[in-house]
Amino acid sequence: MITNPTRRRATVKLLAPLVALGLVAAACGSDSDDDSSSTDAPTDSSAPAGSDVPTTEMEMMDGPTIRLRGQDFSESVTIAEVYGQFLHAKGYDVEVLTPAGFRTEAIDSIQNGDVDLIIDYIGGSLTALVPDAPTSADPDEIAALIGPAYADIGATLLNYSSAVDGDAFVVRGDSEATTISDVAGLDYVFGGSAACFEREQCFIGYTDPDLYNITFADTVTLEFGPLLGEALSAEEVDAVQWNTTAPQIAENGFKVLEDDLGLHPAQNIAPIINTEVLDAYGAQLGADLDELSALITTADLLAWNTETDIELRESDAVATEWLEASGLI
Amino acid sequence: MPDSARPLPGQVAVPRDIGFVDWFFDVGTWTDKGGILDSLWETVLLCSIVTIVAVIVSVPIAAALAHFGKAEVSTTWLVSISRAVPTFAIAALLVPWSLRRGWGFEPWPIFIALLLLALVPIYLNTYTAISQVPDGTVDAARALGHSETSILTKVEFALGASVVLSGIRVAAIQVVATEPIRAFLGGDGLGRYVRDGFGQNNDTLVIGGMILIGGLAALTGLIFVLLERIVLPPGVRRLARQQGDRTR
Repeated sequence: MITNPTRRRATVKLLAPLVALGLVAAACGSDSDDDSSSTDAPTDSSAPAGSDVPTTEMEMMDGPTIRLRGQDFSESVTIAEVYGQFLHAKGYDVEVLTPAGFRTEAIDSIQNGDVDLIIDYIGGSLTALVPDAPTSADPDEIAALIGPAYADIGATLLNYSSAVDGDAFVVRGDSEATTISDVAGLDYVFGGSAACFEREQCFIGYTDPDLYNITFADTVTLEFGPLLGEALSAEEVDAVQWNTTAPQIAENGFKVLEDDLGLHPAQNIAPIINTEVLDAYGAQLGADLDELSALITTADLLAWNTETDIELRESDAVATEWLEASGLI
Repeated sequence: MPDSARPLPGQVAVPRDIGFVDWFFDVGTWTDKGGILDSLWETVLLCSIVTIVAVIVSVPIAAALAHFGKAEVSTTWLVSISRAVPTFAIAALLVPWSLRRGWGFEPWPIFIALLLLALVPIYLNTYTAISQVPDGTVDAARALGHSETSILTKVEFALGASVVLSGIRVAAIQVVATEPIRAFLGGDGLGRYVRDGFGQNNDTLVIGGMILIGGLAALTGLIFVLLERIVLPPGVRRLARQQGDRTR
């Protein structure tokens, strides 16, 4: 059972080129569709073009297509599906693109107009957009810093959610450490993604003599995801940089060490939307997104990840189920 | 950012905005712990072992089967379809299996996956090399009193040596070009530059890794060309050239 997420990832990897090919084909196709629909729209307003779903009883909002894309890990994919299906139910013209890339690609794509809506973790956005700024555990402070940075690239940061998926320094359950500082004397082997090793809030912060000052016995670079848990269980590594909503942490009896020196920033999720698209819909779109963000909790993120990563269910089905249970669609 | 420029033990932490020339032609890039020389050694060591084991396994089996004309269809088919299974899938499937047995990330998953990759061209070329030796030549050797073993080693194998060697060359190049996947499965080697470059959004590392891997693959091919000159007697090389001309 434990191997399945990895196996699934491998399959996804193998299929990726095919999917990419399909995307290219689809993108070429939809471009011409958009062109024809924009010319048709003024003459025939009763049949909104460009939407696959029957919209008989639904009142379509008037405005541009909102393209949104999740990052390439299950939680982000589910979040994108939740926002996409929610907006669709509200009558917006939404296109949920195939998940791809991580934060860098997400921010690039909203900057150059490939995507209109992303949902990111605010602490991560801060590291990417304002790398020199001091990190903070207070989401308001971070929002105040990244709001203007997003405005500079033509995007608007909406209200952040109370849902948090923070950085987690994870060890096996039998570790004697309870705080990250305790690890300093333990000669641990540390596992993290390639990105972790160049980040101030990750490996650099843990080894910084002025901060945690941990000397690791060795380091292993691992793909972010279930492989971290596999490596920890197999005692190939003694500590990994993971995220707080990884369902495998509880599943395998791991524990998250307390960030006693406050290295990790607040990581609430927040929608970031292309300002032109936001303005095209007026105040309603922002209000709708804020309504949804306010309803999502950290427990929801953990529950979604358990569904997708442990139960191996599809993200879109998990999103639909949650929206229905919450009475939103 | 002075912080990211600080050297970290056993870990590449290269500033994102560093120029390719500044990075690639820096002595420390090559000689530091976990630098290019360390990675190169890891890659060369694994690739050499894989290729040698593949030769030891493939060549005798293929030669014997070809000499006795046995199991041509079944084994050739079996070996050929194994080409259809992606090496990365095999390695990725073996990683959790290896971890749960306490064998760690390395070397078994990547070794087995690369070995399966290397077996194919060596097996097929050896089989072809032995079976294409003309029946008349083999019969002549038999009439001269050669034993079957002697025919195989001194006649068939000698005449087919150039084809066998080119199979090994193709296998070695494929192994070198594929080995970098280990960096995505808990290992290091030259693939680490591609992995770290992607993970840290650092094009310098990705390009550097590509050049190093491609360069090593090209060098591997060159070494085998030189090896053929040294190992093969001039007569056999001339024969191989003539055969090449005929088939062209």
